Amino acid sequence: MNLKQGNVLLAAIGSLTLVLLYLVFWVVPPAQGLGNYVRIAFFHIPLAWVSVLAFFMSAGWGAGYLRRRELRFDALSAASAKLGLIFVVLATVSGAIFSKLTWGAYWNWDPRQTTIFVLLLIYGAYLTLRAAMPEPNRRARVSAVYALFSFLTVPFLVFVIPRLFFSLHPSPVINGSGSLAMEPVMFMTLMVGLLDATLVYVWLVQKRISRENREAAA
Amino acid sequence: MQQSIWQGIKLVFRKELVAGLRFKAAWAAMLMFALTTLACVSMAMQGGMLEPRLLAALLWIILFFASLAGADRVFADEDTVGTLLALRIYGRSQAVLMGKMLYTFFLMVVLATFITPLFVLLLDVTVTVPGLLVGVLLLGCGGIAAAGTLVAALTTGANIHSSLFSILMLPVILPVFLPAISLSAASFGGGEGAISYLAGMGLYDLILVVGASLLFDYLWYED
Repeated sequence: MNLKQGNVLLAAIGSLTLVLLYLVFWVVPPAQGLGNYVRIAFFHIPLAWVSVLAFFMSAGWGAGYLRRRELRFDALSAASAKLGLIFVVLATVSGAIFSKLTWGAYWNWDPRQTTIFVLLLIYGAYLTLRAAMPEPNRRARVSAVYALFSFLTVPFLVFVIPRLFFSLHPSPVINGSGSLAMEPVMFMTLMVGLLDATLVYVWLVQKRISRENREAAA
Repeated sequence: MQQSIWQGIKLVFRKELVAGLRFKAAWAAMLMFALTTLACVSMAMQGGMLEPRLLAALLWIILFFASLAGADRVFADEDTVGTLLALRIYGRSQAVLMGKMLYTFFLMVVLATFITPLFVLLLDVTVTVPGLLVGVLLLGCGGIAAAGTLVAALTTGANIHSSLFSILMLPVILPVFLPAISLSAASFGGGEGAISYLAGMGLYDLILVVGASLLFDYLWYED
């Protein structure tokens, strides 16, 4: 990423964040049943989205490494996992606060909480595995294999866990019938939040890779 | 000499079995770990009655952690004694994976056969649906064997091998672990066990076997 691209991205993130804050605190009305607590959701959902996106990207770049055997894919996969861990911790904390305020308990192994916790374990395991492998090529290979192997849990987390346990968590934004279960202004705010968080993730991955490249060149 | 994949699997399984029986410490460690844990739980309970779900969770925690004492060695031992290279040269990757997976499955079935009757006896468990319990144990052992073999291959050569194995195993095995607890609870008289969970466990086992098979070649063949 060159300086100009980085600055443009940073400016876009800054503008979107200001728009998001304005929408969340001044435009979005209190939600029925949730009141003002609903505002937490506009930060929590984007954080959870990026946690999942980073996991997908990490596995995807892992597959890229296995196919091409180029260490830059491994660096991208690792960068994505490291950021994913930060986002998943933030999503877990914001979710626990939301849970306490709305249901009265920080943690009750709700299906969504279970899913995010498994994701947290996968990130932790992936990064521990990397730390335990000193040789770069072997580290890249085993990390990529583990990222892809742990990806097999996704259908279970998405389809099976919600059927196994009772959930208090609000329904997905777009429900089973395909209709929108949210007011248009809330939906628009959520989209701004998702775009903002995604751009923050892209910027941080690029920043991390640039720094590693500089360190490697020095 | 070129051999069929089945012959290869059979040979690797037999080699693992002979080596395992010769080096009895690994078997003893695994079985004693399970027995010690079970004794601790039983002593702590002092004959008190437990809910079916709690009993099921305890059974699977014992099985899972005891399996870690045996399943993590399938590649690490070969690496330590230096036979991994010979296996790499003479064995086909898929035959090695499936042979070792079969051996781990056998190991798990022996462990479950050893510990489950003792568990029932010491904790005074009433098994209302024995067929369901047997089915769940077999599928659970299958899942642990499938995931455990690939994870054991991943951790070979790592500097914190044993602890790393359990860290990597848990997230991958949770889709087997959680339905297994629900179904075992049902077999202990704690609610009804949906047959779809059993089918789901079987399907996930199959996914783990196929996934491990597809990914193993990347680990087996060095750059």
